[in-house]
Amino acid sequence: MINLVRNEMLKLLRKKRLYVIILIIAFLVPLFTYAQFKEIQDQREKMGNQDWRTTLQQEITDTQNRLSSSRIQDEWRKFLKIRLSQQQYYLENDIDPRAPGAPTFMRIFVENSIDLLLPLLVMVIVADLVSSESSGGTIKLLLTRPVKRWRILLSKYLAMLLSISFIVLSVAVLSYGISGVVFGYGGWNMPLLTGFTVSGDELLTENVHIVPQWQYILMEFGLVWYVCMIVGTLTFMLSVLLRSTAAVMGIMLASLIAGAILANMVSSWESAKYFFMVNLNLTNYVSGMATPIEGMSLGFSMSVLAVWGIAGFIIAFVTFSKRDIY
Amino acid sequence: MKAVLKKYTLTVVSIVSIAATVLWLFGLGWTLQDQFSTNKKVSQLKEKTESTSTEKQDGTLTIFALGDSLTRGTGDADGKGYTGYLTERLKEKTDQDINLLNTAIKGETSRGLLKQLQQSEIQRQAKQADVIVMTIGGNDLFQQGAALENLDDNAINGKKQIYLSNVKKIYTQLRELNPEAVIYHVGLYNPFSNMPDSKTTSSIVRDWNFQSAETAAGFDNIVYVPTFDLFQLQVENYLYTDQFHPNTEGYKLIAERVASLIKFEQEENES
Repeated sequence: MINLVRNEMLKLLRKKRLYVIILIIAFLVPLFTYAQFKEIQDQREKMGNQDWRTTLQQEITDTQNRLSSSRIQDEWRKFLKIRLSQQQYYLENDIDPRAPGAPTFMRIFVENSIDLLLPLLVMVIVADLVSSESSGGTIKLLLTRPVKRWRILLSKYLAMLLSISFIVLSVAVLSYGISGVVFGYGGWNMPLLTGFTVSGDELLTENVHIVPQWQYILMEFGLVWYVCMIVGTLTFMLSVLLRSTAAVMGIMLASLIAGAILANMVSSWESAKYFFMVNLNLTNYVSGMATPIEGMSLGFSMSVLAVWGIAGFIIAFVTFSKRDIY
Repeated sequence: MKAVLKKYTLTVVSIVSIAATVLWLFGLGWTLQDQFSTNKKVSQLKEKTESTSTEKQDGTLTIFALGDSLTRGTGDADGKGYTGYLTERLKEKTDQDINLLNTAIKGETSRGLLKQLQQSEIQRQAKQADVIVMTIGGNDLFQQGAALENLDDNAINGKKQIYLSNVKKIYTQLRELNPEAVIYHVGLYNPFSNMPDSKTTSSIVRDWNFQSAETAAGFDNIVYVPTFDLFQLQVENYLYTDQFHPNTEGYKLIAERVASLIKFEQEENES
């Protein structure tokens, strides 16, 4: 088994996909770092040399002013209200949620890339794991060996798992290493609040507690990894079902982007919460943001994703072991 | 040689990946444990408050602005409002850095402001201030122009009493927080002075201003700044299209008036 996985890893490395992905991340991170840097600089210029409390307070009053406008959408109002009470809570507990530093950048970066960017990167790796073997014809060679079919597929799946871990790790390392040049490498022990629960447009704070930033980041990366695994599994299933890599990519791309769009407009269509792509934003539950549809929680989203993932896994294995290869 | 290299990379990547998998699984487990267990020590939070610095910054003049849409700058094309123009004027007069903290909220009434003043961060900023400017009362009296329909004396008197008692509390609170900074309370003008009922409305606003000034006089270093006269003639030139808030020119007038009252060397002495 180990040899099979080794073999698959070797194929992955041969294809140079992992390097491409690392290059993509290494290219994007400086871009975002620069954007973040500009934003901070801009804020400093506008507000003078002030401490963060004043800035945060300013933001709170700005939001309050926006809330008092009558032309604001209900959706957006709810979002603003929740963010407002959260900011107020941070302020009252004397915690700066955005003190600049490489760990903070890391955190903001993964929170923003969990629902689209990282799944896309995973998709690039996984999409042709199986389908390239069928379209290239090498699958016959692979299956003539005296190994059970499910073991072959499992070795591919494990290779996928390893490469997803590798991608998530390189996101962590690269975003920390590169942004640290600008923001400094400190800030791991900064306290952050988590455990907010959203009910309607109220923000419940009874479970709120402080965690150090390094734990917060580790938790968020755990969730990121989970999301990537689910997206990976679904892509893997499509890769088994379809011969054409382009079709796999097309379907995954469409559903991921549809998820991003849906999340912004499904609030009144409640059953949409059972789609996997609406549930990808797991980190929002940790940081306490408004959910796209009422009644969604971390447990709910993780279960929905798990169901999709397990279904995808089973379909992939059953089809692969029963299919006629010619 | 190349094959060896490849093998080497393969091992490294594999080992790193396995380690990463363990790490992420651990993170995921920790998330579950952290987010789904409920008995958390929330009490730990409370101790952290009140450690903020309230020291005044040397060399900078901190203007703390609070109140309603006038302080916010509604109607000004640049969005600066009188506080923005005030800062600009003061910058011409002095080399000091000027720090403007604007916590005004559109539609704020005296009651809302009193509530806002209970927030710890607002209090902290009030303590830091060298100069406090505020507008309040416009929404108590006019309620977005609604009061104009109802010129009944009793109704207006009732509102006035509530307002005056709130303002008194606001003054007391501000004085308690910051005994030194001069408070400039910018008074009301009559946005309806070119309308048919102007005699009645003007007299209401005048009386309102008078009573507020009387209240202000009961405290040290509170200046009630009149604006009624600024807008008395040609009010239409100084109002925004909503016929209620000042426009850029109107705000500049207010700013000039306030700026002329602020002295630099001895801020403790009122003009």
